[in-house]
Amino acid sequence: MSESGFASTSRRTILSFILISTFAVISFRLFQMQILQQESYEEKSADNSIKAIEQMPLRGVFFDRNMKVVVSNIPAYTLRITSAYYNRSLNKILETVIDADSGFIDKILYNNRIYSKYIPIRIKRGIDFKVVSWLEENSEHLNGVDYIVEMQRGYPSGIMGSHMFGYTKEVSPQQLMKEKEYYKPGDYVGHNGIEKTYEEYLRGIKGYNYILVDSKRKEIGKYNDGTGDVASIKGNDLLLSIDADVQRIAEEELKGKSGGVVAIEPRTGEILALVSAPEYDLTQFAYTTSKDFLNQLYTDPTKPLFNRATMSVKPPGSTFKLMAAIAALDMGIITTETTIYCGGGFTFGRFFKCHGGPHGSLNVIHAIEKSCNTFFYNLIYRIGLDKWQEYAKKFSFAGKTGIDIGEEVAGLIPNSKYYEKIYGENWPRSIMASLGIGQGEVSVTPLQLAIYVSLIANNGRTFTPHIVKGYLDNNTRQLIPFQFKEINLGIKQEAFDIVKQGMYLVVNGAGTATWIKSKDIEIAGKTGTAQNPHGKDHAVFVGFAPFDNPQIAVAVVIENVGFGSTYAAPIAKKMIEAYLLKDKLKKEKKVVPELKDKIIGAVIED
Amino acid sequence: MRIDYKLEDKFDFGLFIPSMVLIFIGLLAIYSATFSHPAAAGNFQKQLIWAIAALSIFFITFSLPTNSFRFAASPMYLFSILLLVGVLVIGRKVSGAKSWFDLGPFGFQPSEIAKIGTILALSAFLSRRNANIESFLDIIVALIIGFIPVGLILLEPDLGTSIVFVGMILTIIFWKGISLFSLFVVLSPGFVAIAALFGSFYFITSMVLVVVTLFLFKKDIFFSGSIFALNLGAGFFTDYVYSVLSPHQQKRIQSFIDPMADPLGSGYNAIQAKVAIGSGGLFGKGFMHGNQTQLQFIPEQWTDFIYCVVGEEFGFIGSIIVVGLFLFLFIRLLKIASAAKDEFLSLVLIGILSVYFIHFLINIGMTVGILPVIGIPLPFVSYGGSSLLVNFFMLGIAANIYRTRKNYA
Repeated sequence: MSESGFASTSRRTILSFILISTFAVISFRLFQMQILQQESYEEKSADNSIKAIEQMPLRGVFFDRNMKVVVSNIPAYTLRITSAYYNRSLNKILETVIDADSGFIDKILYNNRIYSKYIPIRIKRGIDFKVVSWLEENSEHLNGVDYIVEMQRGYPSGIMGSHMFGYTKEVSPQQLMKEKEYYKPGDYVGHNGIEKTYEEYLRGIKGYNYILVDSKRKEIGKYNDGTGDVASIKGNDLLLSIDADVQRIAEEELKGKSGGVVAIEPRTGEILALVSAPEYDLTQFAYTTSKDFLNQLYTDPTKPLFNRATMSVKPPGSTFKLMAAIAALDMGIITTETTIYCGGGFTFGRFFKCHGGPHGSLNVIHAIEKSCNTFFYNLIYRIGLDKWQEYAKKFSFAGKTGIDIGEEVAGLIPNSKYYEKIYGENWPRSIMASLGIGQGEVSVTPLQLAIYVSLIANNGRTFTPHIVKGYLDNNTRQLIPFQFKEINLGIKQEAFDIVKQGMYLVVNGAGTATWIKSKDIEIAGKTGTAQNPHGKDHAVFVGFAPFDNPQIAVAVVIENVGFGSTYAAPIAKKMIEAYLLKDKLKKEKKVVPELKDKIIGAVIED
Repeated sequence: MRIDYKLEDKFDFGLFIPSMVLIFIGLLAIYSATFSHPAAAGNFQKQLIWAIAALSIFFITFSLPTNSFRFAASPMYLFSILLLVGVLVIGRKVSGAKSWFDLGPFGFQPSEIAKIGTILALSAFLSRRNANIESFLDIIVALIIGFIPVGLILLEPDLGTSIVFVGMILTIIFWKGISLFSLFVVLSPGFVAIAALFGSFYFITSMVLVVVTLFLFKKDIFFSGSIFALNLGAGFFTDYVYSVLSPHQQKRIQSFIDPMADPLGSGYNAIQAKVAIGSGGLFGKGFMHGNQTQLQFIPEQWTDFIYCVVGEEFGFIGSIIVVGLFLFLFIRLLKIASAAKDEFLSLVLIGILSVYFIHFLINIGMTVGILPVIGIPLPFVSYGGSSLLVNFFMLGIAANIYRTRKNYA
C-alpha cells in the first residue's frame, strides 16, 4: 500500500484525528455546560422557562344568503382541575355544584392520568354562570380548581340544519397523524357536513402566548411582556346559499315525519334549503357530547343521523314521467300532436292499471297533467330502456352529485345490462312498464330530484349543487366565491317548454295538485307516489316557481304517508311562498318603510 | 487459511456491544420523554418492536455471503433513486418536507435506503480494477453517482440528510486515495458555496483564496481556468439553493448565527436543549426526573433532541458515556476498514462510518449548541423505525465484512 494512496496510514491517521478531536470538542463542551455553567442553566431550568401556550382561533361563522347568522360562536365556561394542587376532599362539594353524579370527578381524573399532573384537566364544559360566580367567591378554598372561557358553536337563527351544518369533534388519532403540523390532541375539528368540508377555511390560524413558567409549570408571568406573542387569526366566515326562512319552514313542516326536502335556485345550483327529518339537536354536539345523547341517537329506530336528503334512495314515482317525456321529445319520437289512447290500463304480458282513468286519447302535456300511466307505459317502450337510462343519467341520476357536504349516495337507474345480469338474455321486458312510471328498481335521492327539477326549470342548465357560496375575507369582508362546475344537458328547448306546460297544468289546470294553486305565484310541479312494499307509500313532489322565471325548485319526499299530492305538495308550496313572497315584501318595504313591521308580521301569521 | 473456532474471531463484539448499549440508553430516554406525553405514549413500545426487527436485520445481513453486497450495489442504487423520485411524487409531508412513504401505521423514509445504495454503488465504482481516482472522468462519474441522490433529497427538501450524503461521498473519495490537488478541486466549490451564504465579502475572499491556491499548484492555465469557473458557478448556485430551502430551514440557519435573536421561534429548541443539558450537572437529575423533559419543553424530544434527555437525566457522566460509546464504535469501524484487504469492502466500511459519524456530529453538535439546528436523528438512540433498521443493516454489513475478513487475500 502506498503511503498516500488508498487506505494509507496517513489517511487513517487523518480520520482518527478527526474522530478524536470531535470527541474532545464535544467532551469539553459538555464539561463546560454541565460542570462549569451548570448553576446558570439549572437556574434557567428551575425558574425561568419559556413555554409557548397555544391560542385557539375563533372558528368562522356561517351566514345565510341574506347575511343572517345561522351558525355562530358563543362563549362557554369550562371547569378545570389541576391535580397537582387539587385535594380530592373537594370532590363532593364540586360535584354538587356542577350537578354531577358522585364519582364523576374521580372518573375524569383517572381517565386523564397519563397527562402531567401539572396540566389542567377539563372537568365539565358549558358550566352555568352561577357556578362561575360561586367559583370566584370561593376561589381561596379551591386550590387547583379554575375555569376558562372557551368558544362553542351556537345556532342563533332557530334553524336546526343538523345534516347540513354538521358538528365539530375532538380530532381523531388518524387525523392527528396526517396533519401533525396543525392539530394537537384535544383540538376540535369539523366532523361532518359543512364543518368538515370547509374545515381549512373555518379553523383559522393558531396564535401563541409565551409565558414564563417555573419547574412546576406554574405561570410566573409573560415573557418579554408579551411582545413576542403571536395573535391567533380568526377562521374565514362562510356565506351559505341557504335561506334561513325557507329552511325553517321546511324543518317545521317535516317535524314528526321522516323524509328529505331540498330546494335549489335553478339558475345557480345554490341550495336554498336542505332538510332531512328527523333531525338531531346540534347544540348537543357543541362541546362534549353526553354518552346518553349519543346512545340514544345511534339506537333510535328512526335513524336521525342518517341524511335522508342525500342518502336515502326511493323510487321517484310519477315525477319521473317528466324525464321520459323530455327524452321522447328530444329524440323526436313524439310531438304535441302525438296522442296515446288510455282505456284504463296497458297490457304487456300482464295488465298494468292506470289510476283515475280511463283518460281517453291524450298528448304528452295532458298525460303529465293527469299523470296518465298508460301514456308512459307506452312511452318507455318507444324510447328503449338504454336510451331512457342515458337520459336519466344526464339529469344527474345514478351518480353522485358532488354536493359540498360529502355524504351522499348514487342511487340506481337500471339498463338492459343490469337485467341481463339478473335474468339473462331473455329478461322479461314487462319490467320496463313500471320503470316508465318511476317504480320498480329506479331509486333516487331527494337531492337528485331537486337537481332534476332545477334542470327542467332552467332549461337544462345549472351548476353543481352547493350550500356554500364562498367565504368572506377577514379584512375587507368581501365575498370570495367558490367556483362550481356548470352543467348543460344540451337538450332541445322545445322539450322543456312542452313538459313545463304539463307541469303548469298539474297545479293550475285540471291536474293532480290543483289545490296548492297559489294566487300570488304561478307554481308548476309534478306529484308522485313511490310504491313501498314494506308499508305505506312515500309521497313525492317536485316543483318550481314562478313559472315564467323560475327562482326556486323544490323536491319533497315524505316517507310512509301515502299519496304525493296530499302530503308532499303543500310543503313545497309553503317553501316557495316563504322564499318568493319575502322578496316581494322586501321590495315593498323600500317603498313604504313605515309599514315594514306590519307586513312582516302579516307574513308570519299567514 | 487459518481455522479459528473462537466466536470472537467471527463475531465482532466491538461493534455489537456499543450499539446495543446505545439502543438501550435510547429506549430509556424515549420512555422518559414520552411517558407522560398524550400523543407519543406508545412510542417506547413501538421503538422496542423496531429494535427487535432491527436486530433480526442485523443478523440476516451478518450471515449473507459477503459477495452479495457487491452484486447488490447497482440494483440497490437504482432502486433507491426510484424511491427518491417516487417520494417526491406521492410522499407524505412531515414538518414541511416530503420525505416519507405512508405504509399503514408506519412511515418510511427512502433517503435511509438510499444511504446504503449510494455507499455500495460509489464503492463499487471506485474499486473497479482500472479505476483511477486521479482521472478527471472517474472523479466526475463518482460525483455524479453521489450527487444524484443528494439533489433528489434537497428537493424534498431535507437539508440534514443531504449534508450526511455529501460528507459520506467526500469521505469515500478521500479514502480511495484522492490527491491533495484533486481534493482541492472537489472541495473548493463547496467551500465557496458556504462562503457565498454569508454575503459577497466572504464570497470574494474565498474566490481570491481559490486563485492563490490554483497559482500555488502550478497547473496549466486552461485547467486552472475551468476550476476557477466551477467555483464561481458554485457561489452563484448557493443563492439559488438558499432560495429553494423551505422557510423553516432558512430560519434555522439564521438562528444558528444568533439564537437569542428569535428565542421564541426557531431558536426556542436550541435554547431549551442547552438548558436541558446544562442543568443536568455531573450526575443528572435522575431517570424520569428532568424538568425540561418531563414538562415537554422541547417538542418531539424523542426524535432529534433525544440527547437532551440523556444530558438532563443522566448528567455529564451519562453524556460522556454515550459519546464514548460512539467513539469506540467509530475507531472500531476505522480499524476494520484499514484491515480489510478488499478495496470495495474497505470503502463500504468507511462509507458506513462516515454516515454514523456525520449523524453523530450534527445531532450532538446542535443539541450542545455548537452547530445549527438541523433535524437529523442520533443513530441507535433517537426514536424512529426506518433509521434504526438502516443503521443496523449497515452494522450488519460491517460485522459481515469482519466475519469474512480472512477470506480475501
